[in-house]
Amino acid sequence: MTDPGHDLEGNEVAASPEPEESLRSMLRGALREEEPPPNVLAGVQKRIRERSKGKFYADGWSTAKHPPLNTYLVTSLLMLAVLGISYALLSPLVGSPVPVRNQPAPVQLIPR
Amino acid sequence: MADRRDVAAHPVYLGGGVAEAEDQSERKFIERLARRDERAFNELVELYEARVFRLVLRMLGRRDEAEDMAQEVFVQIFKAVGTFRGDSKLSTWIYRVSVNLCKNRMKYLARRHSEGEDELEPVAERAALDEAKGVTFGDVAQPDRMVEGYQIERVVQLCIAELEPDFREVLILRDLEDLSYEEISEITGLPEGTVKSRLHRARSMLRANVERKMGEKIR
Repeated sequence: MTDPGHDLEGNEVAASPEPEESLRSMLRGALREEEPPPNVLAGVQKRIRERSKGKFYADGWSTAKHPPLNTYLVTSLLMLAVLGISYALLSPLVGSPVPVRNQPAPVQLIPR
Repeated sequence: MADRRDVAAHPVYLGGGVAEAEDQSERKFIERLARRDERAFNELVELYEARVFRLVLRMLGRRDEAEDMAQEVFVQIFKAVGTFRGDSKLSTWIYRVSVNLCKNRMKYLARRHSEGEDELEPVAERAALDEAKGVTFGDVAQPDRMVEGYQIERVVQLCIAELEPDFREVLILRDLEDLSYEEISEITGLPEGTVKSRLHRARSMLRANVERKMGEKIR
């Protein structure tokens, strides 16, 4: 058994902090965050899109945090590549037109 | 932008008149939100999501519920931002929306809890010992202290969960979120005197409950 205000070795122990402070530190300890908060933006956008029946965050582009410049660029380049490949594949099929030797039809005069 | 950090980062606002510039900036930001500017709303979510999540997690005590509730808070803010008159700071209004939604959810969960089986308490009490089970004497210098620490934390979490929502909100806003009495008064809609007395009662109830469960006085 030790005297109040003294530890096991008989040293004087500092007076206990204010009751509110001890309660507060206990609360902070019990409710401290161990994991980082989640990113809720995507979930919020999805809910708004669904509840507004597509009026907000509707086009799939505006749900990005910033203007999706890379997406625009990649899409444009991809489309150019598709056009180039199509041209390269289909151009051998394009021949020169066969010459047509059309003779003017003979004119027959109907006698009176 | 609405937040002090963003305002400080903007060279125009450095120097005199920071508060005024901040107000103007917040007004413009709110106007964009009221126009349902999606980019402005994205900024708002990014700015406040950590604070809102932390608050609702403390109010509800469950991470899965808190994530769902944090999303719901922002959806409600998106719907109601047109009605925000700017009488208080935007952050205070966001806190108010968060607290009110949490209280509604807590009431709903309490109703469901009382109707169904009561599994939370035994699980919470077992959890302290379960967490301690994985710890060996070689892992920590003072295993007894560690187990005791776990138990105290679990008991405090349980006692907070047992507080009525009205008491829990003032306790969390003051002792964990470090808000002023004035801000708590704006958030809860209560006079400052009532906030103080409710906080005093909340602390007393929490302390008494923890002491009863632990069987010793809080030092």
